[in-house]
Amino acid sequence: MKKPDVKVVLLGDMNVGKTSLLHRYTERKFKDTISTVGGAFFLKQWGPYNISIWDTAGREQFHGLGSMYCRGASAVILTYDVTNWQSLAELEERFLSLTDTANHDCIYALVGNKADLTDLKAQLPLDLSGASPASLSGTGLHKQVPREEAMALYERILRYKGLDEKSSLPAEKMCFETSAKTGYNVDTLFETLFDLVLPSILRKRNENLVSPTVDLEEYREASARRGKTCC
Amino acid sequence: MDRDGHPDGEAEAEGMNICRPLKETIPSADTLATSLSLLGNHMFSYPVERDDGATSDQQEPPDSYLSHVTVHDERPDEEPDSNHRESPQTEDMDNSDCHSNDSRTADGGTKEDVVDIDQSDSGEFVVTMLAKAKLEEQGIGVKGRSSPLLEVGTEETPAFMSHRDEDVTADSWREHRKHVFVLSEAGKPIYSRYGSEEALSSTMGVMMALVSFVQSGDNIIRSVYSEGHTVVFLQKGPLVLVCVSSSRQSEEQLRGELLYVYYQIISMLTQASISRIFEHKKNYDLRRLLAGSEKILDGLLNLVDSDPSFLLAAIHCLPLASSLRDSLSQILQKAITPNLVFSILIAKNQLLTIVQEKTVIEDTRLEPADVHLLLNLIGASSAFQAGEIWTPICLPLFNPDCYFYAYISYLDPPECTVCLLLLSTDKEAFYAVAECKRKIEEAMLAQNSLSLIAKAQSYSVSQVGVSDLRHFMYKPFDVPDNHRQLTQFTSPEMEAPYSSEEEKMRLLDLYRYMHSRIHSTSRPLKLIYHVAERETLLAWVTSKFELYTCFSPLVTKACAITAITKLLRWIKKEEERLFIRYPPKYSTTPNPSKSSRGGKSDQQDSTDNGFLQFVLTRQKLKTLRLTLFQEE
Ligand SMILES: Nc1nc2c(ncn2[C@@H]2O[C@H](COP(=O)(O)OP(=O)(O)OP(=O)(O)O)[C@@H](O)[C@H]2O)c(=O)[nH]1
Ligand SMILES: [Mg+2]
Repeated sequence: MKKPDVKVVLLGDMNVGKTSLLHRYTERKFKDTISTVGGAFFLKQWGPYNISIWDTAGREQFHGLGSMYCRGASAVILTYDVTNWQSLAELEERFLSLTDTANHDCIYALVGNKADLTDLKAQLPLDLSGASPASLSGTGLHKQVPREEAMALYERILRYKGLDEKSSLPAEKMCFETSAKTGYNVDTLFETLFDLVLPSILRKRNENLVSPTVDLEEYREASARRGKTCC
Repeated sequence: MDRDGHPDGEAEAEGMNICRPLKETIPSADTLATSLSLLGNHMFSYPVERDDGATSDQQEPPDSYLSHVTVHDERPDEEPDSNHRESPQTEDMDNSDCHSNDSRTADGGTKEDVVDIDQSDSGEFVVTMLAKAKLEEQGIGVKGRSSPLLEVGTEETPAFMSHRDEDVTADSWREHRKHVFVLSEAGKPIYSRYGSEEALSSTMGVMMALVSFVQSGDNIIRSVYSEGHTVVFLQKGPLVLVCVSSSRQSEEQLRGELLYVYYQIISMLTQASISRIFEHKKNYDLRRLLAGSEKILDGLLNLVDSDPSFLLAAIHCLPLASSLRDSLSQILQKAITPNLVFSILIAKNQLLTIVQEKTVIEDTRLEPADVHLLLNLIGASSAFQAGEIWTPICLPLFNPDCYFYAYISYLDPPECTVCLLLLSTDKEAFYAVAECKRKIEEAMLAQNSLSLIAKAQSYSVSQVGVSDLRHFMYKPFDVPDNHRQLTQFTSPEMEAPYSSEEEKMRLLDLYRYMHSRIHSTSRPLKLIYHVAERETLLAWVTSKFELYTCFSPLVTKACAITAITKLLRWIKKEEERLFIRYPPKYSTTPNPSKSSRGGKSDQQDSTDNGFLQFVLTRQKLKTLRLTLFQEE
């Protein structure tokens, strides 16, 4: 195993789609999942860097492990389900305190998954593959969490962390709505975060007196590939 | 006195669920009747025709056609009713005439016997008759009544649960071969194998009413028999487990399966935390903590039905040249880190090798049931196989109150058939343990182990070279010189005519039947020669082994015995390959006097002494590492 340069953690209630999001991003597929036990560790090659990703279990049963997974994290993805208001509330009640062990300059993202169930635009994957017009019909499910709610929570998180709103990343940029099912916004989410943790990687490398042979162009390209941000 | 020309030891009386007469009459048989009838309506609403049993070709035990309720006292069984011959059979191979004295009781008579016993006791008679009456859909004025529990249950709207939304009122739901329910003592639903617990809460409530009714009379309800169904109850601490089965397995077997379910729940939550939770709040909804674990329990129950490891309480390892197994063990032995206690290598869901920490192995050994739970967990969590999993897990038979931390990773992505499982006592040890995996991976690459493992496979019964032998299961018992060995069994692949799922299940059912006869509590047997319709089976238990064999139908007893002699010789010859002979050890405790590998001692210095403490006070370990998952 290559030594990871940086750690990203997925947190959120069970069933919101953390595993599905990661699976969509790494395997480019949406398939049946089994509720995660404990946590699963993945290593993602990002240019010359190794990014470790912890996909944690949302089940209350595993709550005790959460702070261990978060220790030294550079980015935390707080995930909820847009069709389930409680899943947003849980983030504040149950998961936020776990991030106390994260780096002090840790980046937080709020991710409302399953957008395909509520938003027409999320039913089409950005690459337009495999979506038939028929699959567009009948969303039916009521969106319980408007993006504004998530943005308000983001502001509260900054306050909780004692971070200055002006010098921090804006809520507009850090609140995503995604669909692991269609792939909507999934690459954007991960790649935005990876780009944002780059400074953290560079600083760590410098601290370790390793000359960073960085090819920054590579990242620009990678993120430009799917360069649409959420709206 | 062979029956129907079958030289068969099957003719003796069955229906032996001897009921010890109740000392007092059951106080409110009415309540019980209601409960039973509701249960009946829920579970077996279709009328079941009576079968006289005696004419059955398959020679099913006649008691499965009877309906009676068995209420056992909690006290150990006394000498059972004198109507039945109860001295344990001690037939052995030496006794060539071993079955001639078996057929003393005619089947019809047996059935009457049991009913008579039931009728001789008023309380039990009422229960029996009510149960029977209800099941025949001619209730004694109870049909219109309904329990408050039932009403509460049906008013609840089922929560959204996509995989478990089976319609519990449909016939297909009732017709499942084996239902399993878990509920709390307060009657709260915790788990149901089919359909969501919410939709089933009425059924659960009825079962709970049944349990508490019998508890109130100082009797623990243990089983209910009806035409075609056996209902078995098991109470463990604050949990009540119920199995409703039409599989014709024995009560003991079904209870054993419920125990596995209980252990799997313990493996996720620990016994201590379950008791603590319910002491705190009798009404607690345990689904909060178990939500998401349904698939693990579902998977366990499917394994229990399809894998004889559970029946035999033994481990099935993958046959492997002993030199290869040894080299794999050595690889594991060398990749250690402080607080690592078990290193287990698995291929195709079967054990390749297992290496244990020295102090652990001196103290105890890994029980087969704990290994089964681990294998099931791995099977159930393998959906996303690319990652490395780190999760707390309790091994209930090792210590029901504390957690290990399991590292699970596949060594051959993307195929994901070879799995490494490392167990540590240190919650924080993930990166150190992951480093062990890297070492193991490297060593296996150097030795080309993966491609050697890929070639390993289960064997065909044809390799034994005994004609007419179709299949067998052989489980050697501990003998003094390998006392600390893992309990294992060996068995060939199931081949034609047992290749289809139905036929496999049929053979397993025959084995389960033989097993229940051999291990019958009322009348254990040492040897059974059973001529079934499409095969002949011979089961034999000695002080050294337990053996189940399946032959083509026309094999005579003498032939079968010769064949078994050959089979035993073959197993002896292949022993090294078929079993893990001496599970190796390593030392990861900071104990210099015991450490034989000097090269590793530098690694061990940094250990906190948590592990030693862990091993030494294993039994009293209620407090250490228990605080991890407390809610507060
Ligand atoms: N419609 C829709 N369903 C989704 C989406 N993402 C996940 N799901 C479904 O939601 C369920 C849960 O997904 P998981 O990825 O296992 O959820 P999780 O957050 O990892 O859950 P835990 O591991 O228990 O914490 C699965 O049935 C998925 O198929 C999505 O974007 N759209
Ligand atoms: Mg998950």
